[in-house]
Amino acid sequence: MSHIIKTTLWEIISQNISDTESGWLTEKGSASPIELMTAFVASPRFLTKKIVNVDQEQETALRDAIPGFTVTGWSLVRTARVWLLTRLEDSDKDVFIKNIETLFDTAEMNELVALYSALPVLAFPEQWLFRATDAVRSNMGFVFDAIALHNPYPAKYFSELAWNQLVLKTIFNDKPVHFITGLEERENKNLALILSDFAHERWAAGRSVAPNVWRLVSKFMDETLLSDMKYLFASRQLENQEAAALACYESEYAPAKSLLWEYPEFEKSINEGALTWSNLEFTDLNTYVPTLQR
Amino acid sequence: MCQHCKDSSAPNPSHFEEGDGLANSPAHVEMAWSEYNELIQGMRFFDPHIHMVSRTTDDYQAMRKAGIVALIEPSFWVGQPRTGLSSFKDYYSSLVGWERFRSSQFGIKHYCTMGLNSREANNEPLAEQVMEILPLYIYKEGVVGIGEIGFDDQTAAEEKYYRLQLELAKEAKLPVQIHTPHRDKKRGTERSMAIALEHGLDPSWVIIDHNNEETVKNVLDQGFYAAFTIYPFTKMGNERMVKVVEQYGPERIMVNSAADWGISDPLALPKTAALMKMRGISDEAIRLVTYQNAIDAFGKSGQIDVSDFESGLSVEKTEKFHGNSILRGGQQPDVSKDSLVIQ
Repeated sequence: MSHIIKTTLWEIISQNISDTESGWLTEKGSASPIELMTAFVASPRFLTKKIVNVDQEQETALRDAIPGFTVTGWSLVRTARVWLLTRLEDSDKDVFIKNIETLFDTAEMNELVALYSALPVLAFPEQWLFRATDAVRSNMGFVFDAIALHNPYPAKYFSELAWNQLVLKTIFNDKPVHFITGLEERENKNLALILSDFAHERWAAGRSVAPNVWRLVSKFMDETLLSDMKYLFASRQLENQEAAALACYESEYAPAKSLLWEYPEFEKSINEGALTWSNLEFTDLNTYVPTLQR
Repeated sequence: MCQHCKDSSAPNPSHFEEGDGLANSPAHVEMAWSEYNELIQGMRFFDPHIHMVSRTTDDYQAMRKAGIVALIEPSFWVGQPRTGLSSFKDYYSSLVGWERFRSSQFGIKHYCTMGLNSREANNEPLAEQVMEILPLYIYKEGVVGIGEIGFDDQTAAEEKYYRLQLELAKEAKLPVQIHTPHRDKKRGTERSMAIALEHGLDPSWVIIDHNNEETVKNVLDQGFYAAFTIYPFTKMGNERMVKVVEQYGPERIMVNSAADWGISDPLALPKTAALMKMRGISDEAIRLVTYQNAIDAFGKSGQIDVSDFESGLSVEKTEKFHGNSILRGGQQPDVSKDSLVIQ
């Protein structure tokens, strides 16, 4: 694992803790695996509850070492736990795997968050694939978030099936898809078609779909998806119309282009840069509340 | 308010008693919420003993509405004997995992105590294995004590694992939550206290649970915390509780619901507070026995940060903190229970 990750994490931690805390953590970071694992568990008893401050340089260093990896918004305990895991002896593969599995098996909620946050930096990354998909199956929101949002591991290692489940569950749970790392790179036709079916179910129930999700369909536009775009334009809800406009604009599918011509005001704002997907990146979604417009 | 309690003598199945199961009598007759909510306006409650794993989301909503801001879920027997170590592991994990999360969704801070309960201490081969994994759980964030441990049948095996867990509590610097037996209660309580003192535990770190009028005096005199469980039929009624507080004052006394899968009441604290208020007990005394004393006792674990819940554990705050909604789907935290239409 990257030396830069280890040192940058430590740099971030050390500028966010007291000398006593630093002394405790340094000692545990060089301790035997069992002692280090106990420290992983016990760290909330020794470290302050706070969010770490991260400099721009440190943020960049982390991202350069592992694209998409970030600790911004993490608590000190979470950051320290991930750092401890980077210090866990991994020269013997079997022992290392057993130790990590033990931590997973007995983890409480915040430990799970730290473990999943650490997946991108752990040795033997393919080993954690089942665990990672288990986190997607979790109904503990914080645990799900730790794997699904701002975590580069899934985009790099998930199969298409597992990836699509992750994206769908994010949408299903009204979480912001634009927080998923690698969203654009992992777009695929199956996902686009599943989204269309999903939207039809939602609409049948009188519920709505977060407009931002339509960014995932433009490359795969076909007759079915085009009829969804028409539905969105006809919805009389501005965000839906904007989403349809953006999806059609980005599409190479000729009928989608023609559809957009019928709405020149949207095309104009897209051309002027006034309308982008970022206009539709909401974080306070509640698509289960019945929509009133129909 | 509870006149009908006296008329009923039907046993109530709970984890305290075998109860032969027929839940054919009503729980205590409830004074309508609208009649007592005025009395406890602005009060907040800390329930130091409640088994939420057996309760529904309706309970969580009602608790939050009634001012319960935090709770402790002691580990206990699950109604039938566990057959293997994995069931214990999964149960312990759920107390610091799924149950903790479930509670947070309703704006209630969830703590727990970890321990091998007295009934299952009697299965010695399994108990041995449980003791081996217990240290993995007691240092977890939000674990505020070893509990609920103590005596049930008062067997040798129960005593053995009780003593081992007292040592564990000392080692981990954690308070102890002691379940006292139903049968032969008075002597069982005395014995539990004597053993705790014999092991050198500071009584102010030990909470003796399920007290009644007969046990309380000695518990307080020896410097222990005395917890009272308001639980219909088999434990304390809250009218009796009012009298206990009138007699002994609020010091080192705490009230809990111990609500579980039996006919029990997750709103025991707010209801008891309302009753105390009606009977003229001071607001400060009510605050001590339904909130502060539990925090002082279990706070010795270093795991209770009142800023997490003293102004209510804000669902919105948590949401903002994590940058997105914590609720599964977009479910509203408050769904109208009276509406015929379900959306």
